[in-house]
Amino acid sequence: MIKPILFWLLAMLTAPFFSAVILKVKAFFGGKKGPPILINYYTLFKLFQKGSVYSHSTTFIFKMGPMISLGAAVTALLFLPIAGQPPMFSWHGDVILVLYLLGLGRFFTIAAAMDTASPFEGMGAAREAYFPIICEATLFLTLILFFMLSGELRLSAYFFGNEPLQLWRAAGAPLLFVVIALFIVLLTENTRVPVDDPATHLELTMIHEVMVLDHSGPDLGMIELGSYLKLFFYSTIVARLIWPYDMGNAFVDGALFAVAMLAVYGVVGVTESVMARYRMDKVPKFVLTSFALVFFATIITLEFMK
Amino acid sequence: MELFFLSLLLIFSGGALALILQRFFTPMKAAAALFIAAGCLLGLIHAGLWMARSGEAAATVYSIEYLNAFTLAFRIDGLSAFFLIAIHFVSMLAAVYSFHYMDHAEKPLATAVNYFFFSLLVGSMALVVAADNMITFMLAWEIMSLSSFFLVIHNPDAAENRRAAYLYFVFSHVGALFILAAFGVMYGHAGSFAFADMSAIPDSVKILAFIFAFIGFGSKAGVFPFHVWLPHAHPAAPSHISAVMSGVMIKTGIYGILRIYALLDCQRPLLGEIVLIAGILSGVLGVVYALGQHDIKRMLAYCSVENIGIILMGIGIGMIGAAAGKPMMAMLGFAGGLLHVLNHSIFKSLLFMGAGMVLRKTGRRTMDALGGLMKNMKVTGTTFLVGSVAISGLPPLNGFVSEFLIYISGFSGAAPGGRAFVSCLAVIVSLAVIGGLALALFTKVMGVVFQGEPRTEAAQGVNETGAAMRFPMMILAGACLAIGLFPVGFVMMAMKGVSALGLGYDGSGMDVFIQLSANITRGGAVFFIVFFTILAMRTVLYRDKTVSMGGTWGCGFTRPTPRMQYTASSYAGSILEFFRPVAPLHETHPPIRGRFPDRTHYHSHVDDIAEKGMTPGVVRPVLFLFDKLRWIQHGDIHLYIGYILLAIVALLFFV
Repeated sequence: MIKPILFWLLAMLTAPFFSAVILKVKAFFGGKKGPPILINYYTLFKLFQKGSVYSHSTTFIFKMGPMISLGAAVTALLFLPIAGQPPMFSWHGDVILVLYLLGLGRFFTIAAAMDTASPFEGMGAAREAYFPIICEATLFLTLILFFMLSGELRLSAYFFGNEPLQLWRAAGAPLLFVVIALFIVLLTENTRVPVDDPATHLELTMIHEVMVLDHSGPDLGMIELGSYLKLFFYSTIVARLIWPYDMGNAFVDGALFAVAMLAVYGVVGVTESVMARYRMDKVPKFVLTSFALVFFATIITLEFMK
Repeated sequence: MELFFLSLLLIFSGGALALILQRFFTPMKAAAALFIAAGCLLGLIHAGLWMARSGEAAATVYSIEYLNAFTLAFRIDGLSAFFLIAIHFVSMLAAVYSFHYMDHAEKPLATAVNYFFFSLLVGSMALVVAADNMITFMLAWEIMSLSSFFLVIHNPDAAENRRAAYLYFVFSHVGALFILAAFGVMYGHAGSFAFADMSAIPDSVKILAFIFAFIGFGSKAGVFPFHVWLPHAHPAAPSHISAVMSGVMIKTGIYGILRIYALLDCQRPLLGEIVLIAGILSGVLGVVYALGQHDIKRMLAYCSVENIGIILMGIGIGMIGAAAGKPMMAMLGFAGGLLHVLNHSIFKSLLFMGAGMVLRKTGRRTMDALGGLMKNMKVTGTTFLVGSVAISGLPPLNGFVSEFLIYISGFSGAAPGGRAFVSCLAVIVSLAVIGGLALALFTKVMGVVFQGEPRTEAAQGVNETGAAMRFPMMILAGACLAIGLFPVGFVMMAMKGVSALGLGYDGSGMDVFIQLSANITRGGAVFFIVFFTILAMRTVLYRDKTVSMGGTWGCGFTRPTPRMQYTASSYAGSILEFFRPVAPLHETHPPIRGRFPDRTHYHSHVDDIAEKGMTPGVVRPVLFLFDKLRWIQHGDIHLYIGYILLAIVALLFFV
């Protein structure tokens, strides 16, 4: 019981660090030195020390938003095997609960944005409501594929210990499509380039950043922490698929997992450095690609399994 | 059974009292609401006691023969009892709600008539689900259709209300004809009116009868493409009537489909596939059309189409599982569908009551005219929020539980190979898409109606009054939370309904359901622990901090107005663009010209392809045909009598 808690705590503590890796990679591509690698901790610390300013337009939902989105991300990590270690909870169908809890987080993030009466935040909210619809279709199709391969409906049956290796053994090459598709979902759900540019300066072109414009102080800190954790959640899934091995030693596994995570975050950074954000009406097509890839993988796997 | 009839007596006497007492407005309302609510409470206790009976619950049977002409037969089994719970629970709260909602003291007769037909509707719904032969069923069904017709036309002064009621009348009677056709086919082969004799008829006839019955019941349930009446009828009817009609009356259509399926006992995958395809179409298109609406009650009506789709997806996957010999998949699918019947009746009536409060206080149904209502309408706003989260199928509320069961059912059938796999894949992916769209829909409604700033004067300075209106909403919101956190008893109730389908799935595999329900409870508990920990940490972080108020950051713009807020139309615009082939979006927007431009406007409208297709596809051919047959109708009484004679002679020869 102590190991799952330890790894869950480690995930919570290191998630801001990994997010800073993206900034470092982007700075490298830009020929800059970039912010310190611990920048996200400084930011969180600074935000948690401050007070807040609330808009006259807001209600209690505005304050619920950060708490619920953070709570959903924290709960999701409780079910996810981190570094191949057993998760704190695992039962039949937990993966549906986790995906829907992340949906609950999204509901309240959007509701908090709509609470401010700001036209820009409404615009961001509309986009935040739109793109993940396609992501959910992709994720559930992936789930069908994983269910076909493993016969189980729980996160630990896909990502615990040697299980990812079993997925590769059963499916083979089509799983490569799934990795790419999940990476696209990662970029969309966490509003990274080419779906959204977290570093842009114009509110009209933002998705996630514009939705949290009015949050300040600890509330904003919770939103930031929640978004690091959510990115960590999706990255873990991709990292476990690209590094499916289990060495049998928690320390070695943890270290190798960290390397795999660095690779995933690094690729996110490289993607952000070499690509521009798509025009908003192009984004759905980009996200739909992920659905097509998983669909393709499912059909190929069906043939394999005959 | 005595309790059941006693509850009906109370309900009907509530309606009769309203007519008698119509001179005294407030006592009339109080008496009618009290009697109907008390009758419903009694009915709820009866159904609850029935459910609580342990072990193999046998059906309760009662029949009376009227003048040797026909038999009225009633039978209450698990399925009936399950629907009775939903019917009585929602109707009871709607009756309480109506006390403060029906406040037009200058129209006492209209109000009394409304109560009269309301009591008829409630009683006839209970009779529909308790009927045990064709005659009793059709009788109750017609009383239900007609009384709800009179409720829709409550305010006949407005032309659109008359049109809505007419549309509803046509749909419900064409639907009733289809049901009659199904019954006719069944009677023709079984030679008996009793429901119990139906399983003996040949298989090919069963498919025909099922398809007829599905169209008939589907038009009541609001299955795409027979849903056209729904978005017209709901804005016309008073809100507590909409709550009952959308919450439970359309579910009698679902009951009919399930009952016919159980009676026919026909294990063909085709039937399940028909139900499933209809479910997916209604689910996805319902929510897409709902996104395109501007009127809050129309939006909720389309949203009912969506939820009927989810219910049918559960039932369809259950039927496919039963046909494929996969008991786990079948049980989970049926249980998920049935539980969604109860869940939807709870949150949809909650949402309609909330919309009713908004309509009463602001006088506006157009979402883009509202805004910022949460500040002065705490109870309405908060319960509406609970209903919105629940209807989006999000944990830890009740919508998640039923969708979860349907998901698990889909996954249990997702073994590669065979037709069942394709169906399961379709169900899972459509349910995921519907979930995402419903989230977009209800964040839109919450955000535009209850959050932000008031967009027009109508929405300014309103507050909520009427304890009788607030109390039912709180009960319903509490029910959403209770089922979402402790689903085990409700899942077991749904299982009693499933075992009444006579598929031989009673008793076995119950531990799986208990396990699944316990997991949902554990998941909810984990989330609440995390949430309250965060809440505690937040309280600590904000201790001794300066918290101040200011204006919303307008991105540097110094003169923001409420009119700048994002509208419902723009919020849904890009999603609707994606679904343009099935939901054509029409926009009129004269461009701004010149240096000193005139006022301009923007208008958007989403076409419902079923409604659009109805005129050229159905109405015109039918009119054309009847036009050609007009020569038969010449007004000559002698020849009419001749027709009758001819018909009798012909029948003598052929029958």
